[in-house]
Amino acid sequence: MRTITIDPITRLEGHGKIDIFVNQDGEVENAYFQVPELRGFEKFCEGRPVEELPSIVTKICGVCPGCHHMASGKAVDAVFGVEPTATAKKIRELFYMAHFVHSHIAHFYALAAPDFVVGPTADPAERNILGVIAKVGLEIGTEVIKQRRIAQEIQALIGGHQTHVVMNIPGGVKKGITPEQRDDIVKKAEGFVEFSKFSIQLFKDVVLGNKDYVDLILNGPYSLVLHSMGLVDKNNLVNFYDGKVRVVDTTGNELYKYSGDEYIDYIEERVEPWSYLKFPYLKKIGWKGFIDGQDSSVYQATPLSRLNAADGMATPIAQQEYKFMYETLGGKPVHATLAMHWARLIELIYSAEHCLELALDPDIIGTDLRTPIEKIVGEGVGVVEAQRGTLTHHYWTDDKGMVRKVNLIVGTTNNNAAICMSIKKAAQGLIKKGEEVNEGTLNMIEMAFRAYDPCFSCATHSLPGQMRMILNVRDQEGNILQSTKRG
Amino acid sequence: MIVVETSVHSGSILMLGIGNEILTDDGIGPKLIHDLDKNQFPDHIVYQNASLGGLELLEIIKDFDTVFIIDAIRTLKNDPGTVYCYTPDDFKETLHLSNLHDINFLTALELGRRTGMKIPSSITIIAIEIEEDRVFSNSFSPVIQKCYPEILSTVQHMLEKLMPVRTIC
Repeated sequence: MRTITIDPITRLEGHGKIDIFVNQDGEVENAYFQVPELRGFEKFCEGRPVEELPSIVTKICGVCPGCHHMASGKAVDAVFGVEPTATAKKIRELFYMAHFVHSHIAHFYALAAPDFVVGPTADPAERNILGVIAKVGLEIGTEVIKQRRIAQEIQALIGGHQTHVVMNIPGGVKKGITPEQRDDIVKKAEGFVEFSKFSIQLFKDVVLGNKDYVDLILNGPYSLVLHSMGLVDKNNLVNFYDGKVRVVDTTGNELYKYSGDEYIDYIEERVEPWSYLKFPYLKKIGWKGFIDGQDSSVYQATPLSRLNAADGMATPIAQQEYKFMYETLGGKPVHATLAMHWARLIELIYSAEHCLELALDPDIIGTDLRTPIEKIVGEGVGVVEAQRGTLTHHYWTDDKGMVRKVNLIVGTTNNNAAICMSIKKAAQGLIKKGEEVNEGTLNMIEMAFRAYDPCFSCATHSLPGQMRMILNVRDQEGNILQSTKRG
Repeated sequence: MIVVETSVHSGSILMLGIGNEILTDDGIGPKLIHDLDKNQFPDHIVYQNASLGGLELLEIIKDFDTVFIIDAIRTLKNDPGTVYCYTPDDFKETLHLSNLHDINFLTALELGRRTGMKIPSSITIIAIEIEEDRVFSNSFSPVIQKCYPEILSTVQHMLEKLMPVRTIC
């Protein structure tokens, strides 16, 4: 047995690695993705007033603090048995749409576009956002920075701080939006809509206009036939802030639709001895192993699975693009991992359009910001869609509202099993007996991982740093036969 | 050219601590920013804390002339408490300068330059070797707690020496 180790050399030596096991015949037998554990969050929260948690959880992770703040705010509402006012709910959602715009722009231009605009096996020195703007124009780089900054400004305005958000309080939000602020947000949201339309057109021109890329998406080693999860509204349309969790099977038929507080009846977490990160699966099916297909209990919670799990998008342009994607890719559901990038751009359009809709809603400048608290229920669950998957916060308190216990299932954790399987499948398809494993191959394996937009800051631990990778092919004695570095 | 050898700024200065204050030693950057004896520095320095890298950092540092970044690092090659000083030319990836969901720090700087942003002419990265950043806690690990006064003193003196001088032509 030979071992190929893809080691993302990150800020912490030894944090996170991919081991690919190759047999004597040169075929990939298995792949393991491992990240170390971040410990003690539950203990850190114990004994604190539960209403402090929405502000504390923004410090779990600097990548999606707004998602944790929203899930936490909803869980705290539930602990106090209170429903936010209509205005408060819309203000929260408006903030959240800006958060999605900000994050999805970053992923597409900084992480996804280099593989397609510059090329999956291009010189790594050029395969980055600088290479992207060299190809598509400097003004696009300027616009990326500008739109992200504007999204941050909206978050800071509504949330109190762009990262360490403090807006949510039990039953509502701390402050409202003035008519002047609303007018400013409307203008900014109009810019989001235009930029999101431009972004999906860029995707169509560069990716769909290239037969090789379409072939890679549809026929490359990047497809996994798994069940799909996502939050939907009462019309079964994609929703990031509210609604029910819907799971459809590999053929698109609804398996379950449940309220957030019922998650424990549907989701179980498996522990594997080789991984700190747990592996959630569909409880009613039971753990069947790392297999895909209709019998599997592994699911995906990604932009693509959200679209698979829903009947459509709630805004007009996003819905048009939703229909076009499924028509182009042969109908629902789609299981092509790389199509997650396309789905993410459709979600970008939805976020932009919905941001504008909310800003134009007369309720958004309402002054009824909070429903009074009258009781302490003592237990609450908050579920939202984070950019990288369904996010669940579950809190238990004593009768004074002091935290007794906390459980989180974060976006990336939902996809842990699927990420491992995607890496294995890509490695099996790309590493061939007798062929040298070069940097381009490494990157193409990493593309399977990158499509999920994984973030381990809250799943276990962050992996900041550019994804420098070292791939070693070793003989049975551990001697390095071939070594490839990237980054 | 006259060089004024005092702690007078040559332009706008940012002193930025980055790290997570509830992740044991990870929060050493923000803690140092809080504890520095600011009387020893020019009055108009902007002190700020953040926990992000990549493009986010670019947005924070743009438009300043001089930036000092204080961050945690784990090289595992030196004892916890070791203080390093880097510039972008001899750059080492500290804990927060880059981010998996974003671009790395040097790419961010180059992106800023190419898109016409005003990038600081001087960037200094002060990094502190830490012991523990995988456990949620608002206290340092015992080893960092013990040597923290020495770290603070070292960083203070380092910054005093590095503080730019004003040039008057």
